[in-house]
Amino acid sequence: MKVLLVEDNERVTRFVVKGLQEAGHVADHADNGRDGMFLAASEPYDVIIMDRMLPGQIDGLAIIEALRKSGNRTPILILSALSDVDERIKGLKSGGDDYLTKPFAFGELLARLDALSRRLQGSGTQTSLRVGDLHIDLLSRKASRGTRAIALQPQEFKLLEYLMRHAGQVVTRTMLLENVWDYHFDPQTNVVDVHISKLRQKIESDAERPLLRTVRNAGYMLTADE
Amino acid sequence: MNKFLRSSAFTLAFGYVAFGIAALILFAAPLWYAYYVTLQETRVEALRTDSQRLSEIFRRQGVSGLSTYIDNRVGMQIPGERILLLADSTLHPLSGNLPVWPASVPPESGEFDLPITLAGNHTRAMFVHAVLPGDYHLLVGRDQALFAPLAARFWYGLSAAIAVLSIAGVVGGFMIRRAVLMRVDSIHGTVQAIVRGDWSHRLPTKAGSDELNTLSTTINGMLDQIEQLLHGVRDVSNAIAHDLRTPLAELRSRLEELSLTRPDSEETFAEIEEAVVDVDRVILIFNALLRLAEIDTGMRRSGFVPVNAADVARQAVDFYLPAAELKGIALLYRGTGPAHISGDPVLLAQAIGNLIDNALKYTSAGGAISVEVHELPVSKIQVTVADDGPGIPDAEKPKVSTRFYRGDASRGTPGVGLGLTLVASVAKVHGGVLELGDNHPGLRANMVISAQAAGGALQSVLSSSGTQLAAAAAADPAAAKLENTAAAGSTSAAHNLRIRSVS
Repeated sequence: MKVLLVEDNERVTRFVVKGLQEAGHVADHADNGRDGMFLAASEPYDVIIMDRMLPGQIDGLAIIEALRKSGNRTPILILSALSDVDERIKGLKSGGDDYLTKPFAFGELLARLDALSRRLQGSGTQTSLRVGDLHIDLLSRKASRGTRAIALQPQEFKLLEYLMRHAGQVVTRTMLLENVWDYHFDPQTNVVDVHISKLRQKIESDAERPLLRTVRNAGYMLTADE
Repeated sequence: MNKFLRSSAFTLAFGYVAFGIAALILFAAPLWYAYYVTLQETRVEALRTDSQRLSEIFRRQGVSGLSTYIDNRVGMQIPGERILLLADSTLHPLSGNLPVWPASVPPESGEFDLPITLAGNHTRAMFVHAVLPGDYHLLVGRDQALFAPLAARFWYGLSAAIAVLSIAGVVGGFMIRRAVLMRVDSIHGTVQAIVRGDWSHRLPTKAGSDELNTLSTTINGMLDQIEQLLHGVRDVSNAIAHDLRTPLAELRSRLEELSLTRPDSEETFAEIEEAVVDVDRVILIFNALLRLAEIDTGMRRSGFVPVNAADVARQAVDFYLPAAELKGIALLYRGTGPAHISGDPVLLAQAIGNLIDNALKYTSAGGAISVEVHELPVSKIQVTVADDGPGIPDAEKPKVSTRFYRGDASRGTPGVGLGLTLVASVAKVHGGVLELGDNHPGLRANMVISAQAAGGALQSVLSSSGTQLAAAAAADPAAAKLENTAAAGSTSAAHNLRIRSVS
C-alpha cells in the first residue's frame, strides 16, 4: 500500500511513517499544504492521510475539496484534533472518506487505512461471502460453517457480515461500533468484546479451526489463514 | 454638540428635514407653475381687450381721435399702469407714454414678452401689438416689474415654510435623542462595564414593553445565559484540574521513575504499556468533557431530527444484552409502542446507553434491569431505566449535578464520574430533565424529554438560567408556557435527585 501523509507535527509524522513502514507499506510525507497538494495531485496513492490544520495558505479540507473537484478519487482519511461532531461532518462533506481524531492509537489508524484502501476494490454487489469454510448468504441471511448451519440473531449476522467483508484486515472496536451499531461514541465498556466472544462461540465449535482472532492493542481479524 | 452631530439622532433629523424640504418643493413647483401661467393669461387677456377697445376708437374717430384718447388716458393713469403707444408707418410715435418705439418689438402684430428699457430702468414688459388700417401701429403693454412683489411673496412664504421645517427637525432630533438614544447610551455604558469584566451589571428595564425594553430584557437574558456558561467553564476547569491531574501525576511519576532506575527491557516495556493505559484514561476523560461541553453549549441542537426514542432504547437494550447475560442479569425492554420526538439520535443513544451501563455496573448477578419508554400526556416522553441494585443513599443527593462526582460505593469500579452528568445534559438539551428515584430496591432513572421541536429545547435551556424571554414569550405564548413548566420541573427535580457515580 502506498500512503501519503500530510501532517506538520514532526513527532506524529515520525510515528506514523515508521509504523507504516514496519507494516510493510510505502509512506510519502509532506509537512505543509502546498507540498501535500502537489504530491497528492501528481503521484498515484492507495490512500492519503490528511491533517486538517496545516501551515501555509492551504488547509487540509481545501486540499481535499480541490482534489475531489479535479476528479481524484483516492480514499482520504482525515486526521484532526478537532473532534466536534460538526467538524467531523464538515470533514466528510468536503470529500474525506473517514475521520480519525487525535490522539489516536496506531492500530486504529492502520485498520482504518486498510479498510479504506480496499473499499474501492470489493464494493460490488455480492450475494454471499466466504472465509475458509465459513459462509454467509446475504439474501436469505443464513450462515453456515461447512455443513453445520449457524443460527444468528440479526445483530450477530450484521457483525459477522462486517467482519467477513473485511476478512484478513484488522477491525477495531470503534469501527465495529460505528459500522455495525451506528454508535458514534464510546460506550466505555467492553460490550463489543462480549458481542465478539458470543459470536466466536457460535462460529467456532471446539473441533473447528479458529477464524476470529483478537489482535492485541488493535481489535479483531477474521481470517482463514494460519 | 459635536457628539450630537455624530449621533444617529442627528442623521435621522437631517434625513427627515431633507425629505420634508424635498416634499415641500415638489408640492410648491406645480402650484407656482399654475399660478404663473394663470397670471400671465389674465394679463395678456387684459391687454388684448384694451387693444381691441383702442382699435375700435381708431375705427370710429380716426388717428387724431385715438391720439387724443391715448393722451387723455396717459394723463389720467397712475404712472406705469399701462404702456400705450400709437405710431405711424415709420414707427415714429404719435402719442403715448413711450418716447420712442422700443427697438425689440418687431413691426408685425402679435403678443410679446420682451426686455425693454423704461425711463432708464431695465425691465421686462408684455406687449400686444396691433397694426391698424393705414399702417398705424398700436402698442399696448404692461411693465412686468409691477408683479415682482407678488412672486417674491410666494418665495418668501416657501422659504419660511422650509425654515420652520428645519427648526422642527433639529428640535425633533434633540428630542428623539433625549427620549430614546439616552437609553441606548445607558445600554452602551452597561455593556462596556460587562466587557471590562464586571458581570454584575444588567441593563435597566422599566415596566411596559416598548421595543427598547424588550431588547433590554432579551439582552439581559442573554447575559444571564453567558454568565451561566462562564460559570460552567470555570467548574469544568476546576474539575479538569482535579481529575486530570491525578492520572497525569501517576503517568509522570511512572515515566520519571523509569528514566531514573533504568530497569531491564522487559520491565521497561511493561511500564510503558501501563503508561499508555494511563494516557488512554486521560484521553477518555478529556473526550467525555469535550462531549459534555459540546452538548451544554447547545451546539448539538442543529442535529435534531424526527426520531423514535423507543427504537433507540430497544437498540441500546440489544446492544447491552450480551453483557447483561454474561453477568447473569436480566435486561428487558418494556415499551408501549413508538415514542416520536424531535431529537438527536446519537445523543439519545449515548444517554440511554449510559443509564444501562450504569445499571449493569451496580446490579449483581441474578438481578434485573428494565428499560421502559412511555409517551406521557402533555407531549412528553419518559425513558426509564430501573435496576434492583443498591440505589443511591440520600446523603449523596446534593451532589447531583457535580461533574466527576463518584459516590463512596463506586470506589474501585471503572468510570470517570461523568456518565449521569452527560445524561442530565442530554435531557436538558432535549427540553427535559433527569430524575433519579427509588425503585424499592434499586435506582429508577427517569429521563423526561419534551416531544416538541427543537424550539422547546431552546426555551428550556434558557429557562434554566432563570431567564424570562419577553420577546419570545410575546411571539409564542405556547413556547413560553413550556419554558415555565420546564423551569419548574428542573427545580423540583434538583431537589428530588438521588445520584450515584457512573462512568
